[in-house]
Amino acid sequence: MRYVAGALIAFLLAIVQASSVEQFHILGVTPNLMLVFLVSWLVVRGVDDALPMIGVSAVTLGLVGMQDPGLVLLAMVPLALLGLVREMHVIHSETLLVLALVASASAAYETVLLGGIVVSELGGDVLLGMRSLVVPAMIVNLALALPIYLPMRLARPAPRRGWLAG
Amino acid sequence: MSARTLVGTGFLAIAAIALMLAGQLALLDPVENVTLNVTAPVQSVLRDVTDPLADWVNNVTDAGALSAENRRLRAENERLTNDLARLREQGIAGQQTAALDAVRAQFPEETFFAASVVGRDSSNLRQLIAIDAGRGDGVREGMIVVSEGRSLVGTITKVLDDYSWVMLITDPKSAVSAMVQESRAQGVVAGNYDGSLNMEFVGQGAAVKEGDFVITSGLGGGFPPGVTIGRVSDVETREQDLFQRVTVDRLASLSNLERVLVQTSFQPTTLETP
Repeated sequence: MRYVAGALIAFLLAIVQASSVEQFHILGVTPNLMLVFLVSWLVVRGVDDALPMIGVSAVTLGLVGMQDPGLVLLAMVPLALLGLVREMHVIHSETLLVLALVASASAAYETVLLGGIVVSELGGDVLLGMRSLVVPAMIVNLALALPIYLPMRLARPAPRRGWLAG
Repeated sequence: MSARTLVGTGFLAIAAIALMLAGQLALLDPVENVTLNVTAPVQSVLRDVTDPLADWVNNVTDAGALSAENRRLRAENERLTNDLARLREQGIAGQQTAALDAVRAQFPEETFFAASVVGRDSSNLRQLIAIDAGRGDGVREGMIVVSEGRSLVGTITKVLDDYSWVMLITDPKSAVSAMVQESRAQGVVAGNYDGSLNMEFVGQGAAVKEGDFVITSGLGGGFPPGVTIGRVSDVETREQDLFQRVTVDRLASLSNLERVLVQTSFQPTTLETP
């Protein structure tokens, strides 16, 4: 049931990203609300809960946002791999972890999309693309991270206590 | 990381590659058409709801630039500049030879199909828009799209039954054969990742100056000749370079397009080397 709910949220999130969020241009880029939401979800709920959402949101965004669904999904795969950092517990502060993952996931997402264009058409100035898109996208998404993560953390269900717990 | 997570991640990666292949083979076109048909009304409502907030945020983050006034002035400037460009072009065309008249005779009557912009590429990298005109409306790949002020907006790159995708001239993949109207210097107007336009392959000897008009040249058959693209905003000449660096300020305001015209009378041709 929780996967169905997650998939529905991911579907709606992709539609909001493609229709509403794309109207905002800060530092020359559109904030990626969907990516920040998924990173926060991954940190708060775990990678297994986030995986179906990543799939559904990427394909939906590709279909309604005029992008190649496969390429968008490929750009989101590093997000799943970044879940490894959470499992390894190398960063103990969850807030710092969210910020680190949002920055890394944003950079990976934009770089994969940029690479997709370069590979398919051998077009454009890659350095200009990195400077004018990837770096601003990281900054703008980082600014969104805490306003999305903190309410999600507060709404996190309390862990169940086992019957042997004192 | 559990085995389940690794399997899930691997599945996503394989699914991504499969979807990319399916996209290349146009297998996803019917799904996209249905998805756009289903979600377009919702997207339209969402866009209308957030439009005022987006305007406000964009104004604030643009260091107080008044976008509404800018939009109005830009539209007025586009209209006046186009009038001027058309008059100048008529003057030049009037002096040219019968050979040029023969070329112009290939485009005796232009017909346009008006369409509304229903979506935009949601990535930061591409400059694409979706319009509500498709195969059923006579739209075909390669047709050119102009603004209501008749400045070049882009070309149709993908056609579905009810919708089409337009690649804007500012897209990094866009390349338009162009010339400077005053000096007739030829080059290629290409888009950049930051939304700017460059005119490339303009030789060092070509007389190009700030304020010159840039129009399509018609070379290669991908675009009809004489469509206004913009004006030269900067020219950089360095001795060690083979070509001049020409920056072009586009005439059409592409960031807030609402309606566009598809020139259905123009069919692109591909000229191959004999």
